[in-house]
Amino acid sequence: MAKPRIKVLSDEEILEIHWRSLSILSKVGVKVDHKEALELLRSIGAEVNLNSRVAKIPEYIVKEALDKTPNIVRLYYRDGRRFIELYGDNTYFDVGSAAYYYMDYKTNEIRRPVSRDLAEVAKVADFLPNTHIMSTALVPSDIPEIIADRWRMYIVAKNCTKPIDTGAFTLEGIPDAIKIMASIIGEENVSKKPFMIFAACPSPPLKWSELTTQNLMDCAKHGIPVHIIPMPQTGGTSPATLAGSIVQSNAEFLAGLVIAQFTKPGSPIVYSGSPNVFDQRFATPCTGYIEVGLISAAISQLAKFYNIPSAAYTMVSDSKTVDPQSAIESSLGALISVLSGINMAIGSGMLLEENCISLIKLVIDDDIAGSTLRFAKGIHVDVDTLAEEVIREAGPGGLFLKHKHTREWWRKEHYIPRLFDKRTYDMWRKLGSKDLNTIARENVEKILKEHVVETLPKDVERELDKTMKSIAHKYGIEKLLEI
Amino acid sequence: MLSGKEELLNKLKEAAVNGDADEVTKLSKKVIEIGIDPLEAVEKALIAGVLELGEKWINGEAFIVDMIAAAEAMKAGLSILKEEIVKRGGSIKYRGKIVIGTVEGDIHDIGKSIVASLLEAAGYEVIDLGVDVPAQKFIEAIKQYNPDIVGMSALMTTTMLKQREIIEAIKQANLRDKVKIIVGGAPTTEDWAKEIGADGWAPDAASAVELVKKLLK
Repeated sequence: MAKPRIKVLSDEEILEIHWRSLSILSKVGVKVDHKEALELLRSIGAEVNLNSRVAKIPEYIVKEALDKTPNIVRLYYRDGRRFIELYGDNTYFDVGSAAYYYMDYKTNEIRRPVSRDLAEVAKVADFLPNTHIMSTALVPSDIPEIIADRWRMYIVAKNCTKPIDTGAFTLEGIPDAIKIMASIIGEENVSKKPFMIFAACPSPPLKWSELTTQNLMDCAKHGIPVHIIPMPQTGGTSPATLAGSIVQSNAEFLAGLVIAQFTKPGSPIVYSGSPNVFDQRFATPCTGYIEVGLISAAISQLAKFYNIPSAAYTMVSDSKTVDPQSAIESSLGALISVLSGINMAIGSGMLLEENCISLIKLVIDDDIAGSTLRFAKGIHVDVDTLAEEVIREAGPGGLFLKHKHTREWWRKEHYIPRLFDKRTYDMWRKLGSKDLNTIARENVEKILKEHVVETLPKDVERELDKTMKSIAHKYGIEKLLEI
Repeated sequence: MLSGKEELLNKLKEAAVNGDADEVTKLSKKVIEIGIDPLEAVEKALIAGVLELGEKWINGEAFIVDMIAAAEAMKAGLSILKEEIVKRGGSIKYRGKIVIGTVEGDIHDIGKSIVASLLEAAGYEVIDLGVDVPAQKFIEAIKQYNPDIVGMSALMTTTMLKQREIIEAIKQANLRDKVKIIVGGAPTTEDWAKEIGADGWAPDAASAVELVKKLLK
């Protein structure tokens, strides 16, 4: 069965990008602002300059690291039973993470989010059928910044059962996240059934910061999945050319992979990316440019070349509001994701480059995701679907509506959008002439009113609260915010 | 505990909702066999089941194909139970009788068939004349079946004009006062319906059922 797929690089081009990245790594090197990591790199044969903190990593080390990397990364649900697997051409859609702003679905106002907003995003994501991974989507303003990273995990874990894409802003972030996970699934299961995946973003060009390196090593030590997210910015922090940006980000990714795999062999790593275009007209880092799609597809191809799961920020829009631009940019990104087999398509619900989450966009993105997932499945061809018998029985001028085959196959063959309007003009008018934004807003309200998130067992919830309290206590915060 | 009768009627209703004509046929025979009032079976199981599904369809929880399958299953049951009802000296109380067809020159079947099925599902007796129906056939049907309503479908701007001609022919035959006439189809409008002297117009299948209910109130 031929499935619709795209390739943006030839096999030769992939090899050449790989070689050029290796050349950069061994001749130019990467700056790693982390003493322990530098020592590790030196111990395995990298040429390390402790003053400049630059490590030149030879090719054979990269090859060894690639050999140690698992091909499948499993992301568990909070219950430790259900999971999704990132590998092959599977695509899972992931809510955009760590937005500093929130678009209020009631007023369309863009404002700083509060914890209650994050809980609502988690609840909606828990419901949405084509949004598979929830992220710690918002940075709430009603909690001190110093514990905001862990507070987000706590809020999301309480209000959503799905795997969580998150990140730590602090050196204590990962150790505390492990405590949070342990309080829900038990300490012994943190490495076996982690329900969080962490973002680790190298700082382009060719730099790994202290915090990110520490987070990466902490996750590796505990077998917690990490997606390493190079963020080339064409013409800003990477070459203006797409190929050059890919070479550079590939080198950054491979450097992180080496650190992770030599910290602990077999660390679950996802090759992720958040390419953006530095718009020379406005000095803005844009995520909705179509070239972002090309680089993302290239990342997916490279990841497949390395046999590592892939991810990319393809669902993000630069629009300032939920409008045709936001839907178009998400739609193109979603289609590119499924066609190029990106395993985690990140950014659902995101606007304003990567700075804002909108629930209205999130529910629309879910329909976009469902449509594109259907497209990627292609055309199912067998005796039953070719339906020669059915056509024969209906005959010229016949009606398929009364045929059993129709009843059986119509629902199987089509993705039935939850929101996109398919009614007649008169029906649409009768129902209030609502545009997509209105329908999406009403849907958000309905989900928030009707959806019930599976609750944590009482003792688990108590344990989780206790853990969060003890984390807050370290910073002199004695009372947790009531959500 | 449900009694055997209640259980059987529940099963019959479920089979109708599922659009399982074979099962409905089987269970309808059983209704007669064990001597349950066939009228009760029609009303409490078949019609009730299909109406229930109709609600679901209105709410977007069921598909047209499900509705049609349910209506077909109901008809399968009716054809068996009707005989027994007549034997017992009773009759099925339909909400009304409708003759329906796509007008001459037009072979579009789907819209008309959906309306017919939905009307059946809503408890009306429907005589479907099919497609490419000339005026004379509508006139004969009015004489033969004595319907409350005649429905005409046209899917093309060219055949839409036939609706006017057929209404004129019905007038000529002195039958216009005997029936209400409704029209529909993609190119038609409410204004068109008024212009040609129809009694009603509906933009889609669900509205057509509402229109019939309103006209027969």
